[in-house]
Amino acid sequence: MRKSNVIAMLVALIPIVFIAIFVGIPILMAIAFSLGYTGGPNTTVALLDQNLQVTQSGPIFSVYSHLISDLSFQKDFWSTIWVTALSVVLVLLIGWGLALYMRFTRGWLVNIVSSLYIVPLFIPVVIASYALVTFWNTNGFMSALIENVLHLHFAGIGYTSFGVVVGQVWTNIPFAVLMLASGLQAVPDPLIEAARDTGASQLTILRRIIVPLNTLPTMIVGTFTGIGVLGSFTVPDLMGPTAPTMLGVSMSRYYQSFNEPQLSTAVAVIVFLLAAGLGALYVWANIRSNRKAGATQ
Amino acid sequence: MSTLRVSNDEQALTPRRAYSSRPLSTTQVVRWIISCVIILALVLFILGPLVILFLWAFADAWFYPALLPHTWTFSWWQQILLNGDIGHSILLSFIFAPVVTLVSAAICLPAAYAFARFKFPGQRAFMVSLFATNAFPKMGLYIVMAGLLYTFGLMDTFWGVVLVQLLNTVVVMTWIPSAAFAAVPRELEDAARDAGAGLWTTFWRVTLPLARSGIMVALILSFLASLDEAQGTFLVGSPDYITMPTQMYTLVTSYPQQAAAVFSIVLSIPSFVLLLLVRKYILGGTLAAGFRLR
Repeated sequence: MRKSNVIAMLVALIPIVFIAIFVGIPILMAIAFSLGYTGGPNTTVALLDQNLQVTQSGPIFSVYSHLISDLSFQKDFWSTIWVTALSVVLVLLIGWGLALYMRFTRGWLVNIVSSLYIVPLFIPVVIASYALVTFWNTNGFMSALIENVLHLHFAGIGYTSFGVVVGQVWTNIPFAVLMLASGLQAVPDPLIEAARDTGASQLTILRRIIVPLNTLPTMIVGTFTGIGVLGSFTVPDLMGPTAPTMLGVSMSRYYQSFNEPQLSTAVAVIVFLLAAGLGALYVWANIRSNRKAGATQ
Repeated sequence: MSTLRVSNDEQALTPRRAYSSRPLSTTQVVRWIISCVIILALVLFILGPLVILFLWAFADAWFYPALLPHTWTFSWWQQILLNGDIGHSILLSFIFAPVVTLVSAAICLPAAYAFARFKFPGQRAFMVSLFATNAFPKMGLYIVMAGLLYTFGLMDTFWGVVLVQLLNTVVVMTWIPSAAFAAVPRELEDAARDAGAGLWTTFWRVTLPLARSGIMVALILSFLASLDEAQGTFLVGSPDYITMPTQMYTLVTSYPQQAAAVFSIVLSIPSFVLLLLVRKYILGGTLAAGFRLR
């Protein structure tokens, strides 16, 4: 290795080392703590715990078995899974719809759409959640609008799990559309025109050319949205029901309200495992796409 | 897929003439109506909540099912803006955000350049490992981090809060500028070098200006990440370092709707102004480029 490369590697390691110390070590500490290792750097946190499980030798799984047999955790877990899945699906559908619309239509309506979808990026999440829950609440503006226009009763979706999905979709749309739109921009016009000239229908062009060329952006949007939603706190805390809640909220409750940081870190580890699975998918999609790009060159 | 329409070049160049010279067919009218309805729904979905929150900031009495407030007032603005605690939290937020952004830039920008321009073993693995900050839920991280911060004596200190907020900026501050540096054509740098420019001059006069958009986007996104961070700041900084978003939680839970609405507007202004500055770069794909691994 050349000398300049060695220096470059050292410079590149600065943020890596920073993350290793302040994220890597805490992650390992959290895993160890949830397995009953309460000494060392975990001593301070262990002091707060009402119901501490301490290992004598080797890891113990009593914290996890306690969680898994706990009905309220089970409900929170499944609620988190379906909220995440539904949010990802909706974000991808809306994202694809808007990105396609902006790619293949021209005119002033498109300009409106392209300044509109970016708006949620401008608004802090705390405020967005608050604005959304005010809007969608029972007796909120949406109920009032439906009452006035359609003369129907709409109970609102504030403080429900579906409300959380709406909040997640709202906050994740800008990133999704940005990624997908930049992917669609990369599909060359001549390719599409050639397909049309040979008589391909719009649906065929979409299915055989546009979608295959955009699997990577789609995967990036899906995995990042999934990871963000899984660990989210603000949106479900302000918009969601008291129970079942998403795991991001329940871990904060285990810590702040029930004084059980060990349960809280165990929940965090469970969410981390789910998120790491999505992260692996993200890396795999990137590597596969790079390999394909390499093969065609 | 009613909205999918592939136009040819001619139409793209002269859209207005192309539309007006032909009478509209029924399908075209139907399509146009459908897209109008969809866009109206989108406007309602995205802007609706923000507009209503804005109205609440000036509402005196507003009862269901009225679509507009019955009476209006400015008194909530006085209450919020003249409140000492809130003024202090606004000031504090604007001290933290630039500090966090600068420290983050100092740590990450050189690394971003190194990732983009040099080859070394484990390069991609390092880049991906930054991702751990996104994958592990923040709350769990902060709880065990609290142990570390106690050990270092950083709980309830200025630098403790800076540290917690930095964690949210490292990924954008490395990934986006790195993609921007990588997109600068090597030939341009080589040409500058051939013309006799030194390494430093080449970087300063050629590479940096070309990568500027990516760096700007990263700086502003970090600034906003710091400005918006509530959970970690609350856990590490309370009771002495209450920033704007932390204050917002208190306002939401224990004040009337109007107070939170006024504060929301105050809190959104900086985000809005700063993002307008980099809007064209973000829409141009700078952000998207940062999230593709090379």
